[in-house]
Amino acid sequence: MTLDFSWLADPLYQQWLLRGLGTTILMSLLGIVLMFIIGIAGAACIHFRLPVLETLTTILVELFRNTPPLVQLFFLYFMLSEIGLTLTDSATGRSIPLFSGFTCVVLSLGLYNGAIAVEIIRSGLLAVPSQTVEGARSLGYSRLQTFRHVELPIGLRMSIPAMTNNVVSLIKTSSQAVLVAVADIMYGATQIMLETFRNLEVMILIWIIYVVIASLAVVAARRIAAAVRIPGYGM
Amino acid sequence: MTPDQQVRPLIELQGVHKSFGSFPVLKGVSLSVQDGGVVCIIGPSGSGKSTILRCINGLTPIDRGTIRVGSFAVETLKSDKDLVPLRHQVAMVFQQYNLFPHRTVLQNLTMAPIQVLGEDPTQVRERALSLLAKVRLTGKEAAYPGELSGGQQQRVAIARALAMQPRVILFDEVTAALDPEMVSEVLSVIRDLAREGMTCVLVTHEMRFAEEVADEVFFTDRGVIVEHGPPSTIFKAPGDERLKSFLEKVL
Repeated sequence: MTLDFSWLADPLYQQWLLRGLGTTILMSLLGIVLMFIIGIAGAACIHFRLPVLETLTTILVELFRNTPPLVQLFFLYFMLSEIGLTLTDSATGRSIPLFSGFTCVVLSLGLYNGAIAVEIIRSGLLAVPSQTVEGARSLGYSRLQTFRHVELPIGLRMSIPAMTNNVVSLIKTSSQAVLVAVADIMYGATQIMLETFRNLEVMILIWIIYVVIASLAVVAARRIAAAVRIPGYGM
Repeated sequence: MTPDQQVRPLIELQGVHKSFGSFPVLKGVSLSVQDGGVVCIIGPSGSGKSTILRCINGLTPIDRGTIRVGSFAVETLKSDKDLVPLRHQVAMVFQQYNLFPHRTVLQNLTMAPIQVLGEDPTQVRERALSLLAKVRLTGKEAAYPGELSGGQQQRVAIARALAMQPRVILFDEVTAALDPEMVSEVLSVIRDLAREGMTCVLVTHEMRFAEEVADEVFFTDRGVIVEHGPPSTIFKAPGDERLKSFLEKVL
């Protein structure tokens, strides 16, 4: 068996891969932002035991955490296109679907990993000592102020290791974008395979690219953890 | 000060009842603290000493009775917003320090006055620095609580309470978690405060300290105040049998 990577010299393939890589990174970043918004908002709903919202959050978390992300993506993609929300491009006058494959992937990543993030952040909040909270309360902090200034800053720090896993999972899950025709890195790879039949070589490259992206994310998370470390707090 | 204000105590508890579930912790506690007075509450574990303190600043809501601190009827304050002015006047220091681990020593002092009371950060910072000097911790401004010894952390907690410029400080067994050698450094800070006229309510197991600083000592047992009086009477000529046997064990 010989490996042939000569196709890598083709500028068209390089372009597909680079554009795809950009799309993958952009989807992941947007997904991470959405994941954090959902994670913090959901954890707050449960933490404050907000009527209705607490139950609703718990149900949604179970729903999104316990079903395959691919099923969720297809469901979102077909449901939203069925609803058929469109917006009109003011320049061309063309009608374009509001929920493109790209939007659906970002939403799906945000919801799936966001549901897991809710539980991760919640466990971080539970790890904040009740004495620390009481100290804040005795100084006149309201429940909301205590959450914002004391519980969340400490709880988020405690959730960094578990959240790193979740971010890596999100980056990997983004590869299913290819199945709703989003031109991400996997999409580029599939195209190249169809044209060159160098399936193994292409997959080796894709494998390496994902390892690199995920490793960079892990390194970034470690940097953040080191930067916000609480001296003398055993973290 | 009018004569009326002189006789009216700063803190007054009357017939305070509190149960945790079906377990009654306080069964009709009445006590009063004069402005500038130093009161010590002593008694066996589980007799409700800490609960009394926690009721005074509204951390633990009561079932029955009245608590008045200055012009506040504590049992009527329910919302966070109502409790802010009370907690401005009544500060608390805890056995486990309860500092903010993710903030520096200086920030621990300045956070609440700025974030809760909305005071000017520059003024608060100046006040915080002089308070750190007062508790002999100058130079530790940038340290984090986790980097300090227990005695130092507890002195930060006292300074943090003082930064709110309260009228009363409640001390809840503040030396119970400390090594013997650190106890004295914390007690000397409290002694200074008491001498300067700060109203202090202390729950303590340091009987000699209570005897030294207190104007009045309350002995609690099983949710009631069994005996109270000046330290000379309580420690030298106790009347109640339970107090006698308690003092025999701890002195």
